[in-house]
Amino acid sequence: MNVRDRALPAASPEIADLLRVRAERLRAAPAAGDEEAALWVAEFPVSDERFALPLEALRAVLPISAVTPIPLSPPHVVGVLRYEGGIVSALSLASLLRSRGWRQDPAVVLVVDPGFGRLVALDCEAIPRAVPIAAAAVEAARAAQGGRAAAVEVVTPGNRHPLHVVDLRKLLELRREERHGA
Amino acid sequence: MAPDPLIERLVGEFVVEADELVQRITRHVLALERARPGAEPPEGTHEEVARALHTLKGSAATIGLAEMSELAHRMEDAYAPVLAARAAMPSPLADALLGALDASMDWLRARAAGRDGAHDLGARLRQIGAFAPAGQDSLPAASPGAAAGEPEGAPQGASPADDRGGWRVAARHVEALVRELEGLREIRLRVEQRARDVGRALDDLARLGMLAQLAEPRALLLGVRAALARDGTDLGEQLEGLDDAVKAICTVPVRTLLEPLERAVRDACRASGKEAALSLVGGEISLDRRVLEALRGPLVHLVRNAVAHGIEPPEVRRERGKAPAGALVLRVEQQGNVAFLEVADDGAGLDAGRIREAAERRGVASRDEIQRMATDDVVRLVFRSGFTTSETVTEISGRGVGLDVVRAQIQALHGTVDVQSAPRQGTRFLLTVPTDVGTSPVLLVRASGALFGLPMLALEAVVPARSDRLHRGRGHARLEHEGRIVPLFDLGALAGLRQPLPPAEGQPLLVVQARSERAALLVDGILVDRDLAIHPLPAELSTIAAYQGAATLADGELALVLRPEWLVRAERRAEEVALSAKRALVIDDSLTARAMHRAMLEAGGFTVHALASASEAAARLRQATYDVVVCDVAMAGMDGLAFTRLLRDQAETRAVPLVLVSGRDAPGDRASGLAAGADAYISKKDCAAGLLLSEVSAAMARRARG
Repeated sequence: MNVRDRALPAASPEIADLLRVRAERLRAAPAAGDEEAALWVAEFPVSDERFALPLEALRAVLPISAVTPIPLSPPHVVGVLRYEGGIVSALSLASLLRSRGWRQDPAVVLVVDPGFGRLVALDCEAIPRAVPIAAAAVEAARAAQGGRAAAVEVVTPGNRHPLHVVDLRKLLELRREERHGA
Repeated sequence: MAPDPLIERLVGEFVVEADELVQRITRHVLALERARPGAEPPEGTHEEVARALHTLKGSAATIGLAEMSELAHRMEDAYAPVLAARAAMPSPLADALLGALDASMDWLRARAAGRDGAHDLGARLRQIGAFAPAGQDSLPAASPGAAAGEPEGAPQGASPADDRGGWRVAARHVEALVRELEGLREIRLRVEQRARDVGRALDDLARLGMLAQLAEPRALLLGVRAALARDGTDLGEQLEGLDDAVKAICTVPVRTLLEPLERAVRDACRASGKEAALSLVGGEISLDRRVLEALRGPLVHLVRNAVAHGIEPPEVRRERGKAPAGALVLRVEQQGNVAFLEVADDGAGLDAGRIREAAERRGVASRDEIQRMATDDVVRLVFRSGFTTSETVTEISGRGVGLDVVRAQIQALHGTVDVQSAPRQGTRFLLTVPTDVGTSPVLLVRASGALFGLPMLALEAVVPARSDRLHRGRGHARLEHEGRIVPLFDLGALAGLRQPLPPAEGQPLLVVQARSERAALLVDGILVDRDLAIHPLPAELSTIAAYQGAATLADGELALVLRPEWLVRAERRAEEVALSAKRALVIDDSLTARAMHRAMLEAGGFTVHALASASEAAARLRQATYDVVVCDVAMAGMDGLAFTRLLRDQAETRAVPLVLVSGRDAPGDRASGLAAGADAYISKKDCAAGLLLSEVSAAMARRARG
């Protein structure tokens, strides 16, 4: 019988830091009675910033190689991909968010449901991770930043960078209005 | 006695089988009737009629439908002399047979619906019996074996597979199957991605010089990569088969409409003493079965109307310098998820004056309203319900008969119908119907690395480029083709992927026509023609006039299906485009980066061509010149630093402004880039904020100053 050493290997300072943050986050997880107040989001990076979409909007994460570029397409469209028998636009998240740039070339696309009856895909630098945030904090941020804001900043425990929670429907509508206005 | 549920179910299922048999018999009877007297009818036609009649008789007898079986037997008797003589079908006999077939189906449908006695076959039996030779009016019972593929005296060679029947399946099950198929395609893409990942891991091992130490894991990885490649191929083959099967389930070729339409034309001609021939363009297109079935009624109505009220009698046509037989054309085309159908005749056309009078008299529209209407709008009054009475039909040459019903049927399919007419030249009804599934024949071609589809309906010819047929004029190349001079375009350039290339001797050129205009296209390669389902592009891309939609190939690749009208009008657009734009070449293996750089440079007034590898870019720069090059650093194969050094080593590219972009922005990375010969080095973290454009402009200005 093989017996494995179950002791944890010595962690580097960075890994130890990461584990500590995760442990803190778990300790801060809502109690059973507060679970309704938690909003699960898909968190992902865009350049040096953190963004998130409601997890319920996320349908799939696919490799960016699934995207076919479209000659003559508008600037914010990266290409198209097939998904469940239909053709879905892949949009540039950095372009939609008016980001200064990006740290890593996007490796995946997120197939999401913005809530207007059809899916879209967004390129993304990394596979998102599911995290819970306080729904009340999102609501408070929305109230503070105005109802039309396409993304609101939420401060999450254990992270000094704010999390930008995106209302994708509003974001797409805003960019569409800008294009039409232009 | 209560009906036997088993028999009732069998009768219900037999309706489908009988309908197919009746359609087959009808098609061949019409072919036999069209054969010139004394001439040999098309080979196998007689055998097909005999075989189908016999199967109809046997199948009906098997499930106890004695009346129908008897009528089929009488039809066999009546047909026997023509069969024996291998002769053309006399029209009176064709009338009797077709009438008997119609009566059989009416009787059967009523029987299946539990309305016994709604139709009486007695009159048809007597009518068809009159054609039977003396001594052949006895009625031997058809043996059940006849239905089971054991013909009694019928010609041999029946295909049992044709008569195996089928299933009735809810649309949602088929839609679920299509989704599953799409899911399988995605799995195939993932398998291929895994194979590439393993390949990259092997490349890393080689680059790090670890092959010797890791011989065993390397061998394992090589095996995994080969196995993944095999799995991908096997999966691809399975997908191709499944794709064909799903297509066969969901769609049916338009040519299956030909038989009922020919029948309608033939009957209308017999009834009116006129002559007309129907032709079908686009019969190879396959449309959603449900849509095609729903279109049958309106189309039959339109062609019957065309004969009855549009096509002139032969003597009138002769007086007008027309052929005695009228020409009816059904043209079908699919663009994206829309089917276009056109029913055109070369008859008398609609009489706008008489339509005005009738509309006013019938109260369909007020005198003021009618007087204000343009002629095109007046002829559209035929779709209003007030024009549906036979009286009105007679008054306005009948072109309004039931057309409100046609319009209602098309609208029920969420489609539209329109009409155009010219006096003494004819009438065209244009139907537009959305269709979720369906296929069109498409020629697949490549241009500048992109895969395009060209609807075969628009393809007039493929000709090799020959210098004596090519001309240059006003900046555009032209091709001499069959006595015409047509503009010649490089498809890669039209799609904004490269500067126009001249055709090499012998290179294939596609001559495309749409709406009476023509253009020749230079492509890099012609791949294959396929029947493909064309999906509409999403809303973000629906405004691009260049594409009808996109089609998925069996290997998962998407082909953009070009719109022929866009291609033939390229010359007009080219004249509108300013020729002074600065040209930039973007090289990046990231799709996103290419899109972003293109967007930023186009915003700065550049014409941008983008490539995914430095080796492609090196080849491109041997063919074309650019005002600036923007290149990624970390790329598979030749990286940006090696590419920069290559450009600086070559006299013709030494002075081209070159800006490197990279995700790495340490001082050492920047120094390496500049040392390789780049004019500027910027981080991808900042390049979307206007920095790229300013660095590009500054680099160009520095080079210009020398």
